[in-house]
Amino acid sequence: MRPLPLIFPLALVLAACTESTLTTISCDDVDGACEEFTVEDIDALIDRTNTLEDGLTLILGEGDFMLDNQLTLRGASDISLLGQGMDLTVIDLAPASESQVNGVDSVGDGFLIQDLTIQNATKDALRVEDSSNIIIRRVRTTWSAGPSSENGAYGIYPVRVDHVLVEDSEALNASDAGLYVGQCQHAVIRNNDVRGNVAGLEIENTQYADVYGNMATDNTAGIVIFDLPGNPIVGRDVYIHDNTIVDNNRDNFAPSGIVRAIPAGTGTFMLASRRVHLSNNTWENNDSVAVAVLSGLAIESDPATWAIQDANVLGDVDDLGLMTGDGVTFNFRTENVLIEGNTFIGNGTSPDTSDAELRELGLLLGLLYGGGAVDSVVYDGIAESGFSTTDGTAVSNDNSVCIGANEGTSVVNLNLAEVLASGEVPTLDDVFRPAAPFAPYDCTALPGGAVVLGELPAGVSE
Amino acid sequence: MRFIPCMIAVVLSACGGDLTPNIDLTEPPPDQLSDMGLMAWDGNAPVYAEGVHTYTLNTPLFSDYAVKHRAIYLPEGTSASPGGPADVLDFPVGTVILKTFSFPADLRSPTEGVDPKETRMMRRTEEGWESWPYLWNDDNTDADLAVGGNVSVVTFIDPDGESRTSQYLVPQRNQCSECHQIEQGEDVVMAPIGPKPRNLTASGQLQTWIDAGIVTGLDTASVDGAVVTEGLDIDALSGEELNHAARDYLDINCAHCHRPDGVQGVTSQLFLNYENTNDFNLGVCKRPGSAGLGGGGLIYDIVPGNPDESILAFRMETEDPGAMMPLLGRSLAHNEGVDLIRAWIANMPADDCQ
Repeated sequence: MRPLPLIFPLALVLAACTESTLTTISCDDVDGACEEFTVEDIDALIDRTNTLEDGLTLILGEGDFMLDNQLTLRGASDISLLGQGMDLTVIDLAPASESQVNGVDSVGDGFLIQDLTIQNATKDALRVEDSSNIIIRRVRTTWSAGPSSENGAYGIYPVRVDHVLVEDSEALNASDAGLYVGQCQHAVIRNNDVRGNVAGLEIENTQYADVYGNMATDNTAGIVIFDLPGNPIVGRDVYIHDNTIVDNNRDNFAPSGIVRAIPAGTGTFMLASRRVHLSNNTWENNDSVAVAVLSGLAIESDPATWAIQDANVLGDVDDLGLMTGDGVTFNFRTENVLIEGNTFIGNGTSPDTSDAELRELGLLLGLLYGGGAVDSVVYDGIAESGFSTTDGTAVSNDNSVCIGANEGTSVVNLNLAEVLASGEVPTLDDVFRPAAPFAPYDCTALPGGAVVLGELPAGVSE
Repeated sequence: MRFIPCMIAVVLSACGGDLTPNIDLTEPPPDQLSDMGLMAWDGNAPVYAEGVHTYTLNTPLFSDYAVKHRAIYLPEGTSASPGGPADVLDFPVGTVILKTFSFPADLRSPTEGVDPKETRMMRRTEEGWESWPYLWNDDNTDADLAVGGNVSVVTFIDPDGESRTSQYLVPQRNQCSECHQIEQGEDVVMAPIGPKPRNLTASGQLQTWIDAGIVTGLDTASVDGAVVTEGLDIDALSGEELNHAARDYLDINCAHCHRPDGVQGVTSQLFLNYENTNDFNLGVCKRPGSAGLGGGGLIYDIVPGNPDESILAFRMETEDPGAMMPLLGRSLAHNEGVDLIRAWIANMPADDCQ
């Protein structure tokens, strides 16, 4: 059992109300080793973070902690870093703008960070790596300049963590992903607010993610799910439910990386993903497309780049039936997707056609629909065995893309590989747009059973 | 373009007469470096106790043109052998490695006006390697343990005679692990980076250590020595030599993270260790997963024949702290290293990666 610092009930109640300026927490509220730091104690704080012992709680007072190097937490377990609230305690990396540093950078099991803001990091605002049982609560990550390609890449960034909870946090203005869950197992991402990023909330190469109650708005893309080529963790079992993904139309300002290929106005896409369930979400006014279901080959067409050496594959893959080759496993397919119970309003009215080279999909949608609204679920249809523009019985659904009952849904199979290969400007006569109930996509359950939910970190009950 | 000769040369270690090694692994490291009795600073160079061995690396890691003095102390009667993590020698318990970073006022005269900045101390305990930063005082009379590191501005004349200003970062103790961590089975361990047999062969150094009995179980004839970059004339290299030199450079400068058992770099699937033989993992026509600013608007890590389109070269050249590689330890571009890697990429058979 993870020894959480015992915060007295009164402080807990107050802390739940982040707008309250009455919120204060001190070492009196904490059981176990604890030290307090004011904005005058920065050298002492840095020294202390470099001589940690297990179970220490560090409490930061109100004000701006102006740091010329990151806070680096290593070599100890069950460390807590607590502020007085997102509006009151600010870790500001502006003085480190000439150094290649993150904001808060932690490796260690049982890390808890809450009630503070991290801003103006050169690279990532909050990076937690190679750890177990991590809680990120009421943390805001941002850059003062607003959305800018000069900003750091990631806001809240747990990577290679098992059992991570991110809740009630805000990820703003990152030049790649605001809230990025990468190569994790068991992630619960709930009730967060992601705004002004290129990708708002990103689930990447992650197994067992429960993503709910989040608000994604004003990003280039709201919530995205994908696997990177060659990454040893094969993503699976991602449950995206009860989220609001609205007005994600910000021009793509990523300086590089795969996210630079995302058209502005993308609600959600999944790419090289499997066992994904989208339920009870609302997509509204995302101008390119509400939901895109894409093969990894749509961005990286050489299957060899998606080969993972079998000896390197991590996590649970045995039951996934992944494509294999000589000593390698391939993860480019997107398969076993269930989209049901969602609401789609006013999406796809003006696809991003700004960059034909970088954001081909946006241009394609713009040309294809010629000003009409893009279907709310766009499936690329890559590597399907059967296709027809008119005869649904001839269209295969090898990848088990299942569209249940949703409000305001329509579906298209782009037959993308052939459409691109033809070199012709496609028309709606070249694609397949089934009528409700969208056969052959009218399956109503995921093959292999419902998605497995991400578990909470040890010591968190609900 | 040549690598600058005599960046350090082998320092003739004047023995510090009053230095006596005093290594107590049961205690935390001392607050003052002098308490270890291994080294002191004298004028423009360090002096060491008897039994402390100075050494150089065939291909050194670039750190903002800092001049580095490396030295190692092994307890009397002990020796190192092959088989440590990340191809580094496996050193005995009690070993201490000292790497002192200093800046001459003018790198064209690297032995004059030298000001020591920091000494990074690694010691091998029963539990494994530990890493500790020491910061030299203003009078260079001693260096103080500085677990919180330090950030300061350093100005000097570079080898081309140009004034350079570095935002010099002495790493926090915990930042040492960003470069020095390596996966070993299920565990993550600390390890030195430089003293691999293949990086110690210059000037017969490894053989000298074998002859002195401080390295055992190794035949220098079996060691594929890294290219000695000191004084290297890139233009005069054959294609094969160029490939060797470039791979050696990437190995020491990048592969502490970018290797399959690296902790920080494994995410990228970009493996720049000398032993890697997979071109895709070497970066050829490989898209970075998430290079952020580091992509420089480019698409592939290496576009063969085209260094201008290669992210690998861009990240070495740029001085944008959000974009540059390596992650720590430089704020300036290493012009000579950039030239080497650009020449290597330019020499590859052209491929537009389409």
